[in-house]
Amino acid sequence: MTFRLTCPVCGKRDVYEFTFGGQERGPRPEQDGLSAEEHFRWTQFRLIPNEPQEEWWYHGQGCGVWFRTTRDPGTNREVR
Amino acid sequence: MSRLRPGETCRVDFSRPLEFSFLGREMTGYAGDTVASALYGAGVRIFGRSLKYHRPRGLYSMEGESANTFMSIDGVPNECAETTELRAGMAIEPQNVRGDPGRDRFGFLDAFDRLMPAGFYYHLFHRPYALWPLFQSGLRRMAGTGVLDPGAEYRNGVRTERYLNADVAVIGGGPAGMAAALAAGESGLRVCLFERRGRLGGQMTWRVRDFEGEPLYRRAGALAARVRAAENVNVFTRSPVTGVWGENLVTGFAVGTEDDPFRECHWECRATTVVVAAGCMDRPLVFNHNDRPGVMQVGTAWRLARTYGVRPGKSVAFSVADDLGLEAAIDLDDMGVRIRFIADARESGQQGPEVFDALCDRAIPFFPGCAVSRAVGRKRVRGCVLRSLKGGRSRRFRCDLLVANAGMQPRIGILATAKARLAYCTHTHGYQPTELPPGVFVAGSMTGLRDPRSIEASGRVAGYGVAEWCGGRLKSVAGARAPAREAEALPGPGAGCGIIHAPAIGRGAKAFVDLDEDGTYKNVKESIARGLDVPELAKRFAGFGLGPGQYRVAGQNLAMIMADLRGDPVETAHPTTVRPPLGAPSLATLAGPGHDVHKRTPLHSELAGRGAVFRRAGAWQRARHFGDDPSCRDEIRNVRTNVGVLDSSPLGKFRIHGPDALNALQRVYMSDMSKARPGRCKYSAMCNDMGQLMDDGVVVAEGPGDYYFTTSSARAGDTVEWFRFHTRHDDWDYNLVNLTDVLGSLNIAGPNARRVLERLTRDNVSNQAFPYLACRRITVGDGVEARCLRLGFVGELSFELHAPASYVPYLWDLVMEAGADFGIRPFGLEAQNCLRAEKGHVIIGMESEQRVTLTDIGMGWMWDREDTVSKKVGAPALRACDRQPGRLNLVGLRVEEGAKAPRDGTLVVDGDKIVGYVCTTRSSDTLGWQYGLALVHREHAFPGRRIHLCHEEAPGQRVTSTAFVMSPHFYDPRGERLRS
Repeated sequence: MTFRLTCPVCGKRDVYEFTFGGQERGPRPEQDGLSAEEHFRWTQFRLIPNEPQEEWWYHGQGCGVWFRTTRDPGTNREVR
Repeated sequence: MSRLRPGETCRVDFSRPLEFSFLGREMTGYAGDTVASALYGAGVRIFGRSLKYHRPRGLYSMEGESANTFMSIDGVPNECAETTELRAGMAIEPQNVRGDPGRDRFGFLDAFDRLMPAGFYYHLFHRPYALWPLFQSGLRRMAGTGVLDPGAEYRNGVRTERYLNADVAVIGGGPAGMAAALAAGESGLRVCLFERRGRLGGQMTWRVRDFEGEPLYRRAGALAARVRAAENVNVFTRSPVTGVWGENLVTGFAVGTEDDPFRECHWECRATTVVVAAGCMDRPLVFNHNDRPGVMQVGTAWRLARTYGVRPGKSVAFSVADDLGLEAAIDLDDMGVRIRFIADARESGQQGPEVFDALCDRAIPFFPGCAVSRAVGRKRVRGCVLRSLKGGRSRRFRCDLLVANAGMQPRIGILATAKARLAYCTHTHGYQPTELPPGVFVAGSMTGLRDPRSIEASGRVAGYGVAEWCGGRLKSVAGARAPAREAEALPGPGAGCGIIHAPAIGRGAKAFVDLDEDGTYKNVKESIARGLDVPELAKRFAGFGLGPGQYRVAGQNLAMIMADLRGDPVETAHPTTVRPPLGAPSLATLAGPGHDVHKRTPLHSELAGRGAVFRRAGAWQRARHFGDDPSCRDEIRNVRTNVGVLDSSPLGKFRIHGPDALNALQRVYMSDMSKARPGRCKYSAMCNDMGQLMDDGVVVAEGPGDYYFTTSSARAGDTVEWFRFHTRHDDWDYNLVNLTDVLGSLNIAGPNARRVLERLTRDNVSNQAFPYLACRRITVGDGVEARCLRLGFVGELSFELHAPASYVPYLWDLVMEAGADFGIRPFGLEAQNCLRAEKGHVIIGMESEQRVTLTDIGMGWMWDREDTVSKKVGAPALRACDRQPGRLNLVGLRVEEGAKAPRDGTLVVDGDKIVGYVCTTRSSDTLGWQYGLALVHREHAFPGRRIHLCHEEAPGQRVTSTAFVMSPHFYDPRGERLRS
């Protein structure tokens, strides 16, 4: 498995340079009155769709930026 | 043995003989030989024995396509003799042989093939089941290839890696590949050209046929010279490609020559586009006893003569199916090799006019519409049987070499790994791509082209196509169109020969579809009879294409034969999946250069000078202990009673500043970070979303919105990522700077620490001016400004000095000089570990793990429960499992006097139930007894509780001992020494 990702700072780079940060799941939920179930749903539950999804990636071997990109896990390609 | 003198196509330098040994016998080859050509030239005909039947095997292919000639070279097994270049002094041994390959002890197995039908390994010898292990070990001993010696060192020579970037990766350095590289290079693109042989030119390097007034090898040589001279074409020879991956990543390896600085180099080339011009290979003709030594491919005999100057045989029979085969036979005849006859599987009239005329000029018997149906002779070919494909009469000939193929087949492996869609083409009778992945182009003879002009033109078309794809600087659009028009005017793909196998196959003889796995035509039938009737299933069941040949030799034949046996049209046949690696790099190369990439602290040489024993800790080499005592008794005692110094430079050190710095700290730290004050260390910890302890350290405010903080050494590399990840939605304005490598640090610890520090600085470091947990900037020695933190990880009065890394060796010298009167000595990580454990301070990963939270290990006091606004990472999880039953808690243990000492990891049991384990335990001189830090279930975690430790002496043999639960703060529980 190998593909390239587009870092907003550095441009197209090999996936080796990045760390995966999971699906985009919205901002951290408000904690007042947050039930344990809601919390675990936000931290743990994921759907695994066979279609493009929004993801977080970290350019750890490069500029050190966290960015969002839309990628199709079926083809491993970014979708624009 | 005398050699031929083939002239300019020869790669062997007869003036440079090389001595080597085969089975201990001294032999001579020449510079430029491969191991196989040298052995053949020295008269060796039997190269080894086959996998299952132990049949004698000889030189069959010349490009590493079959495992017949895998040899053990200088003790390294499975070296491919066909492609390995000969070096002086090589010690070569055949494989899967007991004794001489001519008289192998297991040779009798050939007669027992009835016991080894297709897939026998899966359904025979399994009953009674108790006997299977016996059979299995016997089978494994008799079958197989090379043998590894567990004690041997195989990582010989330099193994390197290289990462390339290119606009175009051209795979194959034949005429098409070279033309593509030149066209792309002229368009201003950066080109990498990969050729697996040592020389550019492909098949044309050994063809002497006159074409447009000059021999083909000169034409190829001229093209190669232009490629070598082209500015933006980077040529890699001896560089087989192992696969093409997602978004055109091409991987492979380069085999070093004596002039290269490496033995083998793994490379990866990220290319925008790929031109595949991999050429063709012989398609084996499947006939009876087609594996006998003395049966070989057309290319093998031709190259032996033309490239290596080795006479392939005295009396040679040819059974071929295309013009190239005829050309080879004619060329060998010209070189003075006696050609017994030439059979062509095609009918008369299908031959090219030029070769046909050349054939007619010679007095060689020519049999169109015929093929060899059987090789005669056991250990060496002595003759053959020729048969008409229409059936009818057969005729027997004497010969000592039988050159046979069923025409050429394209090398589709690279296209297959690139995920191109392939289909059987009924015109060329080979697999052709019907759909190519984005940016992948095909050129050359693998598309079925046979005319040298067409092959070069297809390369140019691909080269300009690539340039168009990349948006290269084309000289003119017309310039790009011209080669396409030119190519259209030239001859297109030639018709192939669709012969599936030789006539009269399988009558009382073995006809091999796959030489590597000893897979016969009969095995294909058996596989179909068992319902495993497509190539993918037969591959798993009977092993076709599983061997080192991986698809290459067996692939197309297996698919065609299976379709034929099922009665389906041949175009429905689909070969088995080709799997990388296509070439075989050595495991040592894949393992990498093997050098240990680590960081050294600024004090590395100072510590080494004092006898430090270094161990890897994360990215760093750190001093584990000094001298030869791994239990570090003296180092520990010295810190407890006097003063010691620790190189703590790998400690994570950061600065965070900006308007939102405090918000970010509040998010990741569990405490209320608004209480961080200038000049004072605030101890706190980070959790993950599950409430597990991730990191701890101190935070010091240094100004408005400006903080200095430390993390554990292991987390230093992840901290920036962690902060940024957990604040990724907030759009906060803060800067985070990793100072870990910029600043070194020293920890002076022990009752005499202050007296040592007083000698280094004029600043007031008294207990009143510089109390416990204070942080000051002090000036040390000749004006080095250092942050000084008064902490107590090891449980004693201690001062940590943080200063620029380049000043730290100077500080070290000062400290050692000032402490000399007290007997100061360095201590290492093991001493630190014992000291902090006696004090009950945890190390993350030693006393914490996935199942325990911050509160479980007794650090819940720092968690600011009231704060819900800053959305602390881990707070909801801590809240959720606050009162959960059955959790593990951290406790201290005092092991009963005289009881068996536990070790790190010893289990805590309650009857038959495991209720926890010991994390760290040591026998302490300071305390006078054996203590331990343990994680145990909450119901056992109260002081005074008697618990049982279970020691497993040997598997199944358990001994229990007793320990008492107590507070983990064994040493100085009130912290008086820290504050003194």
